[in-house]
Order: sequence, then structure tokens, then C-alpha cells
Amino acid sequence: MSERKRRSIFDLIDEYFENLEESVRRLRESLLEKPSWDRKACTIEPLRDISVSPTEVIVTVDLPYTEENTIRVKPVGRDAIEISAKMKRKISFNDFGITHYKGEFQTFHCQTRIPVPVYMDKMEVRFKRGILEIRLPRKHEYEIPIE
Amino acid sequence: MDEVKIIEKKEIPEDCIMLFGFPDVGLVGVIAASHLISELNNLEEVAYVDSKLLPPLIVLHEGLPHSPIRIFGNHDILLAVSETAIPADVIYPIMYALIDWGKSKNVKMMISLSGIPIQERQDVEELKIFAAASNPAVLKTVQDLGIEILKEGYMVGPQAIMLQRCANIGLPAITLLAQCFFNYPDPEAAAEVLKGLTKITGLKVDVSKLLEKGEEIRLKARDVMRRTQQELSKMKKTQEYDMPLYIT
Repeated sequence: MSERKRRSIFDLIDEYFENLEESVRRLRESLLEKPSWDRKACTIEPLRDISVSPTEVIVTVDLPYTEENTIRVKPVGRDAIEISAKMKRKISFNDFGITHYKGEFQTFHCQTRIPVPVYMDKMEVRFKRGILEIRLPRKHEYEIPIE
Repeated sequence: MDEVKIIEKKEIPEDCIMLFGFPDVGLVGVIAASHLISELNNLEEVAYVDSKLLPPLIVLHEGLPHSPIRIFGNHDILLAVSETAIPADVIYPIMYALIDWGKSKNVKMMISLSGIPIQERQDVEELKIFAAASNPAVLKTVQDLGIEILKEGYMVGPQAIMLQRCANIGLPAITLLAQCFFNYPDPEAAAEVLKGLTKITGLKVDVSKLLEKGEEIRLKARDVMRRTQQELSKMKKTQEYDMPLYIT
């Protein structure tokens, strides 16, 4: 008779986070396998990053060449934000030395999902060194009592 | 190490300093290498990496195929640069092949140009540079030049492999790191790392154009940065933020 090995809570937590990391990696890869531009909409998808601290969610977006007064950040439902910004000048494929595609872009556009509940109405936004920083305070809807 | 071949196109000068500019945090090394190639007019492609370990990818320049990993050179320096993110699982064989090839060409020193990510980077006006070396004598030389030493911690990526391999085979080597963004191309950090390179080698590089064209470079480097982020995650790059367990 085979003896089933008991696993500690730490093993289970480790496994949970490894699986979660793998899922995020797969999701990231699937999102990556498409162009970072949309020729029809004349938009470019900016690089972005998201971090979750105990008190807030911080989204940063790399927006080089951006006119600061054109930056728009708007909530999409309760768990996503949409970011758009106009560039100081039109960028064409030609600027990258690419001649086999035609098209011009003047807008950055992206949508980002916020992984935990936040107060959208308390969003703080600042723009420095071409980096847009969006801070969203976390909403702690309930707490698990510790006995 | 037949799985990675270095194909020589020109006669390779001996006693050079070999530099590495590979995709990593902030693309510091690649941006710095690219600036060196455009700034030092006499750097030409002298060799390239040929390996089936790499993805089935070529880089087209003027309609002609090129390896994504190439070595440029003049009489004083050899510069290995990659135009695409290197898959995390082939970094070891690629770096070993390049370093062993460099040793066979009697390279006198290897220097890897890269970055060290910092949080709230957009608020930092003056970026610091740090160095680590393959042996105590080289470390002292760097320290005497006023470059801060990266004393403790983890290093992940091609520059880590370079340092370790060079230490093993007795080749003087330095990894030069500028504070930078983790996930965004950072031309300012590339300029800082080049200033550090000037201190160490005496190689004069004007970084003013690099800073002027900063925004344009950030825009152009976006896709390479995206692919690099993916490989950084696979090689667990965030381990560089970890606090080490000191074993003495």
C-alpha cells in the first residue's frame, strides 16, 4: 500500500504561487504575441507596469514624446482603467526604417486591469520624466478575523 | 561548445577590451552599445553568433540577413551586442562561447554594460553607477577610480555569467551597472554607464546625442523591451531585489 505523503501548508502556498506565476507568465506571453500597434486606430500600445502594495495599486506607463495635457486616464468599470495620450509628433513606420508597412501613429492607447478592488474615485495621477504614474488606494472590503 | 559557433568575418585584433551590451533591465547595455557603434565611426562587424539554440530569427538590414548577436570591433575594442532578447535558457551557452572565443583572441579585459533597477526611478535626478569585478585586483582598480562597488546581493543575467566565467578562467572582468528603470528603456542610464566605461578604459564617448535622442530611443526600443521583460521574468530577475543570506 502506498503511503500518501502529507504536505505542509508552506508547500501548498509555494505550489499555489508557482501556479499563479505560471498562469501570469502564460497570459503575458499570449498578450505579447500581437503587434504593439494598431494601424486602423493609429495607436501604439505603451509599455506599462503594475504593482500592488498593502495600501495602493500603482500603475506606471512609459509615454515618451507625449504632450502632458493630452493624457487621459479613465476607469472602465470597477477593475480596469483606460489610458490614452497624444504624441508631440506623428510617428510612421518609416521612422523605424520599416518600408513594408504603411501607417502613422500619434496616440498611445492601452487598457489595464486592476487586480484587486480599488477606489477609482480617489485616483491620483502624475507625469514625470515621460512616465505616467497612477495611484489607486486599495479597497479592503472585508477582513478575516484571527481567533 | 559546438552548439554555439562564432563566425569570424574579418581578422580579429588581439589584446582588445571586449564589451557586452545585451538586453537586460532598462536595455541599458543595448542602448549603450548601439550608441557606441554610431558614435565611434570605426566599429565594424567582425564576427557573429551562429547557433540553433537561438529562436529561428534573423535581423534584416538593407534586405540582407544578420545574426541577432553580432560582434563589432576596431583595433582597441570588441563589442558583443544583441538586437533581440536572448532566451533565458540559452544565456549560459551563448555567454560561455563568447567568453571562450574572447579568451582565444587574447582579450585583455571584459566589461559588461548593464543596469541595476531602482524603484521610483522617475524621481531620481542623478543616477549612480556600481561595479563588480572578477578578481580583487580589478575590483581595487575600479574602486580607485571612484566607482562604487556592488558589495553584496544577487546578480542575474548575462553579466552575472560573464563575471563568474571570467573569474573561473582567470580573465579580468568588470560588470558595470547604472541605476535604471526595470521595465522601461533608459537612455539616461545608458549614458551613465558609458561615462563609467570612459573612466575605466579612457575610451572617449560623447553621450550628448544619446541624451538628446532619449525620447526617440525609448519609443524605438519599446518592442525589444517587451520581449526582454518576458525573458527577465523567466530568469527571475527580481531576485536582484532579494536580501541575501550571508554565508561566510
